[in-house]
Amino acid sequence: MIAEQAEKRPKAKDVMKQLTRDYYEGALKAHEENRFIAYTTAVSPVELFYAHDIIPIYPENHSVMCLSGRMMPRLSLEIEKRGYTSHLCAYARSDLGYREVGESPIGGIPDPDFLLACNAQCFTLTKWFQVLSRRYGVQVFVFDTPQYIRKKDARKNIIRYVEQQLSEMIEALEELTGRKFDYDRLKEVLGYSAEASRLYKEFLDLASIKPSPISIFDALIHMAITVYLRGTKEAVDYYRLLIEEIKEEKVSKGIGVIPNERFRLYWENLPIWFKFRDHSEFLAAHNAVILTSLYAHAWSYDFDVSDPMRTLAENYTSVFSNVELEERAERAISLFRQYSLNGNIMFLNRSCKAVTFGVLELKDMITEETGIPALVFESDMGDPRFYSEVQIRTRLEAYLETLDRLGVG
Amino acid sequence: MNRGVLDELLSIARGPYPLLRAWKKESQRKIIGSTLTDVPEELIHAAGLVPFTIVGTNKPIMKASVHLPDNACSQARSDLELVLTYERDFFDGYVLPQVDDTSQHLCDIWRRNVPWDYFESFLLPRQVDRPSARKWLLDETLRLKGSLESFTGNEISEAGLLESIGLYNQNRQHLRRLYEMKRTSHHFMGNREFFDIIKSSMWWPKEEHNRLLERLISSIDKTDLKDKGDEGIRVVLSGIVWEPPEIMDILDESGLKVVGDDLCVGWRYIGADVEMDGNPLRAIVNRHFKKGPFTPINDKGDRIFENLLDLVRKNRAKAVIYFHIKFNESQDFDLPDLVDNMEREGVPIFVVETEYQTTHLAGVRTRIQAFGESLAEE
Repeated sequence: MIAEQAEKRPKAKDVMKQLTRDYYEGALKAHEENRFIAYTTAVSPVELFYAHDIIPIYPENHSVMCLSGRMMPRLSLEIEKRGYTSHLCAYARSDLGYREVGESPIGGIPDPDFLLACNAQCFTLTKWFQVLSRRYGVQVFVFDTPQYIRKKDARKNIIRYVEQQLSEMIEALEELTGRKFDYDRLKEVLGYSAEASRLYKEFLDLASIKPSPISIFDALIHMAITVYLRGTKEAVDYYRLLIEEIKEEKVSKGIGVIPNERFRLYWENLPIWFKFRDHSEFLAAHNAVILTSLYAHAWSYDFDVSDPMRTLAENYTSVFSNVELEERAERAISLFRQYSLNGNIMFLNRSCKAVTFGVLELKDMITEETGIPALVFESDMGDPRFYSEVQIRTRLEAYLETLDRLGVG
Repeated sequence: MNRGVLDELLSIARGPYPLLRAWKKESQRKIIGSTLTDVPEELIHAAGLVPFTIVGTNKPIMKASVHLPDNACSQARSDLELVLTYERDFFDGYVLPQVDDTSQHLCDIWRRNVPWDYFESFLLPRQVDRPSARKWLLDETLRLKGSLESFTGNEISEAGLLESIGLYNQNRQHLRRLYEMKRTSHHFMGNREFFDIIKSSMWWPKEEHNRLLERLISSIDKTDLKDKGDEGIRVVLSGIVWEPPEIMDILDESGLKVVGDDLCVGWRYIGADVEMDGNPLRAIVNRHFKKGPFTPINDKGDRIFENLLDLVRKNRAKAVIYFHIKFNESQDFDLPDLVDNMEREGVPIFVVETEYQTTHLAGVRTRIQAFGESLAEE
């Protein structure tokens, strides 16, 4: 009977494809249907858009598709001709390049009616969206989240400031659409966000099982849904389905994501999108698997639906990239413990200053606490011109040999 | 003009640390360093401390790269290097402002690796186009006040704060007066000399600096302001810093006369005063919003371009020289549109990519001279 149910149940990856298709098709029709498009950043209070029937579009997600589709450096070269430098964020370069040439793996994304840049994630987005603001004549709303420093008086003030900005954002959305904001609808949307975030974290935490049924590569694929559909029932249903599927197909049978799991690794930073699969296969051949990252956990929110404004302010301000280094290190170290990690790969991502500028310091803090040596290497998350295949493979191999010599795993 | 006083100011700008060490030893005052930009110095001064704006070092980078990757801008790396290597024991504490990812990380790295008796991050609003920014800055300024009071053990009184504000306003007024003389007279003062005086103001105790400026200004007579020969080509400077300082000498050599700027080590430091009536803390906050646009801070419309164009027109400048610090992400994003927009308005703009620690300026010299010649031919 259970087997029959499982057979009838759609596969999570097929559902994800359908959700993604529906989402982009819906967005492309938005202007025909007199609906508004807001560009926003992956870590931002997107619940306000869903509650106000505005379609959020994430240029970052579209850039990931371009980078994974190996459209770099072609897109970057287009904007370098205009004077933008090759050391800017690869997402931004890819997006601005797409706007010059119009090429996209999904046929493009609609133009924005509103731009929201939340700087908890990074400051770059403000500047990138300012370029879009000039291009489309649409004002940027900077959702300013000061660093969530560990001082009680400062934190109280910061949350008050961020809450005030949520109210300002609501006013701006009402002005844009000419409609009153519905706070009851916000509660409903937030309920979906809370549940999707909880389930997403449950999905990520499956990697704490030995052998792990998922790797960081699964996390990075499946996180897309919570990034752009949190706040919807579809996201909640999706993660329920995904968790059930993994538990049934792998956990219940003790099947790991790689056959002979030995090295359980942490990854610091965003992935190298165009080397995503290669890295996974290369590591698997060496009995190694990357299991988690603070980056993947950036969407593990813990919303308290009883106080929407407060909980949105707290969650979107306290993301790992916006806390002090000590707190970021503590969060990473707790992942080492929870997931029984025994290796640490720290990627200096030249095109993501927000995450990378703390990595050298973070490495020392994590190594000191865990005793696990770390591999640090530099490259770019999206531009193959800054990726040295041989050098990086050699370093990965040498690192795994070191772990082997140390008797790890 | 009293050359001796001018030389005194220039010697501060060209090597403040030995001079200030001697002063510190004698006065027994505590020095609080802040990186660029916008920390309310009046508040630090009113706490009985001596504010000092850190503008990096041009000496070699040796330790900063261990903490901060090489694609951080040289402004951040040089600031860090200064306190890791060259002036490690000079400062008693720090108030470091945050405006972007680099300055945010710099605060953490600094706090963990540099010795200090006092450390505070000053979380500036990164938007100034909505009411929440003003309220936030007031909260943050109040927090800084409380934090300084805890450090010194003394309350900052309203009267004391007003006195400090008066002192700083006076300094800015003197500097603006000198700027006006530089603008209106053909050869009153060179670019390097004038901007060095602004730098010296960021570094020297304000009471003393005001005395020096007063002596200098009172010594200026008609012969100093009398036009001699050609005026040179009037230009506006844009950017954050002018480093290495020799690039200002190159402008002088090339006959380019600075008549306006939006630099942090320039007009942003001296352009706006704090109102003396009403609540002094609110007045300090109000000053922040009168300063004009700054690249990391979001404002309505395209304020950076509009302000620059306004500076050019108001000062009858012929061109803009933009100092672009390599790897400064904020400037990287501004520049392509800014250049297009200025050119569309018929204003030539010349971008000089600069880095601290640059020792070979021959290429920059040739390009600036060529730009100057092309302007002269127009």
